[in-house]
Amino acid sequence: LTGEKPPPPPLPAVFEAPIRPDIVQFVHTNMNKNNRQAYAVSMKAGKQVSASSWGTGRAVARIPRVGGGGTSRSGQGAFGNMCRGGRMFAPTKTWRKWNRKINTTQKRYAVASALAASAVPALVMARGHKVDEVPEIPLVLDTSLESTKKTSAAKDILASVGALDDVEKAAASKQVRAGKGKMRNRRYTLRRGPLVIYNENDGVAQAFRNLPGVELCCVSRLNLLQLAPGGHMGRFCIWSQAAVEALDTIYGSEGKRIPSASMTNADLARLINSDEIQSVLKPAMCNDKKPLRKKNAIK
Amino acid sequence: MVQVSNQLLWEVVKNNNCFMKKVNGRSRRSGTMRFSVEKNNLRSISSYKHSGIASTQAVGIASKNDSAVLYTKTASKCATTTAIAEIPLNKPFAKVVQTVEKTLSDNYYRRDLKNDALAKFSAVYQANRRAKGVKKVVPVKKGRA
Repeated sequence: LTGEKPPPPPLPAVFEAPIRPDIVQFVHTNMNKNNRQAYAVSMKAGKQVSASSWGTGRAVARIPRVGGGGTSRSGQGAFGNMCRGGRMFAPTKTWRKWNRKINTTQKRYAVASALAASAVPALVMARGHKVDEVPEIPLVLDTSLESTKKTSAAKDILASVGALDDVEKAAASKQVRAGKGKMRNRRYTLRRGPLVIYNENDGVAQAFRNLPGVELCCVSRLNLLQLAPGGHMGRFCIWSQAAVEALDTIYGSEGKRIPSASMTNADLARLINSDEIQSVLKPAMCNDKKPLRKKNAIK
Repeated sequence: MVQVSNQLLWEVVKNNNCFMKKVNGRSRRSGTMRFSVEKNNLRSISSYKHSGIASTQAVGIASKNDSAVLYTKTASKCATTTAIAEIPLNKPFAKVVQTVEKTLSDNYYRRDLKNDALAKFSAVYQANRRAKGVKKVVPVKKGRA
């Protein structure tokens, strides 16, 4: 924060976790459902009529009809989803399964994967964050970041570190939402900016939270929905030194298990061109024979 | 920074990334062209070969202040600021062709992209000349906007 660069500490082992977009996507789609509130139609909707069918022989359709007289409602069809004022097809129920259970190991795998992806500049850029001016990814700031008190100071910190571009992109992206959500208390949409991860909140949360797009998270409570918004890995994360150090205790031999990769060396190009493989290959096939153009394609 | 292999990066990024633009049709089957808006993509096509994201070595040519610039990815592991080397291309055309060839082919840096790089430089060069007024702008016929 003061502008000096201390010697970079060794990268916590989580950042070497296998990057599995499939697991992250699966866990994300399910976790996303856990925030839902139930909605349903009234149980009695459309059924509060004592209607019965007139049967055949009366030159009308056999749908149940409202009995009685003296009102335009009498004789009208009732009870069907096709009827005006009837109950809907398959009335929505409150006991629909709104939330999803996900295996704890899978959830942890996804978080580890998302953390690893946040350490790859290419993935962060591909997700759309403006990180061209950021000196290093993962971006680790001094622990004094956690005791920032004022938002103006927070803004200065981000500016000095090159992270303000991302915040400005989020600020510029504020638009009225397309669709009915705008009348349902979800008026504006905004891009996501950097995620500031701290170990102990000594004012960081209050200082940074008003900046558009910026989200905060404590290391011990990392949230996949923040690390991989939309199920897409590579959120731009800003760590405090203490948070990065805490990662080694949270994920390690005493803490949560870091998944192991199925391939230790995933660089296909190097593998194929390596001596071990090339020495065992048959010589490359020579396909000089060009098919002659047939004058008569039928014969 | 974590070192991730190019293939793995491409698999993660090939179906969705912020630089991809799909044109004509919405699926691979219906003949979509997938373009890529990244800086280091010479043909602006979204494919593993041309990708500027999913490669440790990538080449870009762009116009900067009325003249062209060549961008190459350096071997720098962590930093995003020093990750790209800029080589200004201010000299006359023939000289620049030599520069591009030297930086790419002779250094064994993405020799498969040499022709694409020269083609892109050609286009950027002409665009700069038209902008400066040195060369006439191609007139657009009436009725074709």
